[in-house]
Amino acid sequence: MSALIARPWIWSWLAAALAFALTVSLTGGRGAGELAYAALSFGAFAAIVGMGQMLVITLGPGNVDLSIPATMTLAGTLALKAMGSDPGTAAMGLAIALAVGLGVGLANFALIYLLRLPPIIATLAASLIYQSLAIWSNRGLRIKPPEGLADFSTGRTLAVPNVAWVGLAIAVVVWVVLERSTWGRWLMATGQNMRAARLAGVPVQRVRFATYLAVAVLAGLTGYLLASFSGGAALNMGQEYLLMSIAVVVIGGSSIAGGYSNVPGVWGAALFMFLVVSMLNSYGAPAGLRLVLTGTIIIGIVIAASTRRVRT
Amino acid sequence: MRISTWLGGAALCAVAGSALAEAHMTDTSDARIALSNNYAGNSWRQAMLQSWEDVTGPAVEEGIVAAADAYTTSENQATEQAAQIQNMILQGYDAIVVNAASPTALNGAVKEACDAGIVVVSFDGIVTEPCAWRIAVDFHEMGRQEVEYLASRLPEGGNLLEIRGLAGVFVDDEISAGIHAGIEEFPQFEIAGSVHGDWAQDVAQKAVAGILPSLPEIVGVVTQGGDGYGAAEAIRAAGRDMPIIVLGNRQDEMLWWQQQRDESGYETISLSIAPGVSTLAFWVAQQILAGEEVPKDLTVPFLTVTQDTLDETLANTPEGSVANVEYSLEDAQAVIAEAQGEM
Repeated sequence: MSALIARPWIWSWLAAALAFALTVSLTGGRGAGELAYAALSFGAFAAIVGMGQMLVITLGPGNVDLSIPATMTLAGTLALKAMGSDPGTAAMGLAIALAVGLGVGLANFALIYLLRLPPIIATLAASLIYQSLAIWSNRGLRIKPPEGLADFSTGRTLAVPNVAWVGLAIAVVVWVVLERSTWGRWLMATGQNMRAARLAGVPVQRVRFATYLAVAVLAGLTGYLLASFSGGAALNMGQEYLLMSIAVVVIGGSSIAGGYSNVPGVWGAALFMFLVVSMLNSYGAPAGLRLVLTGTIIIGIVIAASTRRVRT
Repeated sequence: MRISTWLGGAALCAVAGSALAEAHMTDTSDARIALSNNYAGNSWRQAMLQSWEDVTGPAVEEGIVAAADAYTTSENQATEQAAQIQNMILQGYDAIVVNAASPTALNGAVKEACDAGIVVVSFDGIVTEPCAWRIAVDFHEMGRQEVEYLASRLPEGGNLLEIRGLAGVFVDDEISAGIHAGIEEFPQFEIAGSVHGDWAQDVAQKAVAGILPSLPEIVGVVTQGGDGYGAAEAIRAAGRDMPIIVLGNRQDEMLWWQQQRDESGYETISLSIAPGVSTLAFWVAQQILAGEEVPKDLTVPFLTVTQDTLDETLANTPEGSVANVEYSLEDAQAVIAEAQGEM
């Protein structure tokens, strides 16, 4: 039991479970399945971008990708425009979204590495360009996804939303890479002490390059899925994922200073972020109180998760 | 679609003749007008900028004004827009048409412009500085009419779900206050739940999906436009009966309405603000420069789409865009004359 409590990810899951229970208790148990299903659907998007952000934050202090919202918008917009609602184009759309992710990752890292810009500045400045490209490419017109793709992204398999299966699969891959592969060890080592890692022979810049590519590709994929899920890309579709992607990493028990990441915690935090808003909405909390409470709860979880880590 | 199809017909007929006669009291062919816009990141704002281009382009070609340049700030910040207006003063524009990031934070810059002899016309996001003109939408009335419509459809009343906009924004407070005033007028309705959809379809979808499980049966959804389709998607996914959702003017929500109507006879109404209001502001600025006496406060009617006008409106709306009305000089003169009559 104490070993379980010592895990930093347990707190986000406990918080999610509590928010779930409080919401469902309002109706005496009715609608529990519905709520869980909605949490898995919407949590999946936050979880996927959150895992990308987690990889970058693990790189160490100062590493963060603020271009995630613009990348999502650009990937969603270009993919849906190329597909043009025609059946059988889903794979091409996916390829375009992933290619946008690769391009963005490449551009971001070029700014960071070649121009020696701090990642916060580089990704924030570049995101203005990506957002402008999205506006310029389609001027905000909303194009419907092909029917098959829309059915897939809003559908379910074995009572679990398809997007949640995608998010789960990505979580497993990220976990295996982080915990079981050399590259994952290199990433952790770089985040814990970049100088020591370099002296120990870790190809630090290659690790950083791959990480910035990974986060952008995951953002591109999320943009594609979210646009298909909600019936088309919108210019402001990525907006709320800027803070969300960072919040799920921190709440999930990864170290904001880098070097320690936590995959299960990201999923727990993603579910929690959806459930806490649903809970406060269900209890009829006004917008101001809702924001204050959300902030307070997040701080509480972060404190709980980080003090546990210090003690063990 | 022309304004004349939905503006009070009587007012238009009464004034059109006299207004046309005094179209160009002073020559404005040397005048330069600038658009100061605080945000471009959604389809409504994109349509607004497109309308501006479509209407001012020919106006410049015809020599009615010398220039009509549009500028948009990147960060939706009042400070940034204030600096932008100060630049416009230095560039020597004769009139500035502004969609403001804040009703009060730009007042200093607007006052500077007025003091420099520049005509300032605010619309949609209006400014409170008295020297500026305001083209406002009666958001309060829009909210009230939503409930009135539901009362006409559901005389016995029931539970409503309210989808609000972006918390802390003036427009959100106004529409919501109007909705609550409507509830007082028709007490058979009760707001069972309220969520913020941030005027974004995917945010609304998420918020509605989260609150639905804890709600009793819902007979109607009152919205602020742009979030109706998201609500419909969330309600469909939850397997509930479709309530009457008051829609906005996006093409995808009206298309959904048409499909539902054809399948099951679904009936509703759409209330919204046409993004082409920017073109009305342009003509009002031109008229002020031409020496017309224009009252400081003008009201622009909101765009209503009913069961009868749905097909026509949808046919005129580009796919993925929003239903729109672009204003002509005559339309602007009619609006001005109506306001003069009220003075």
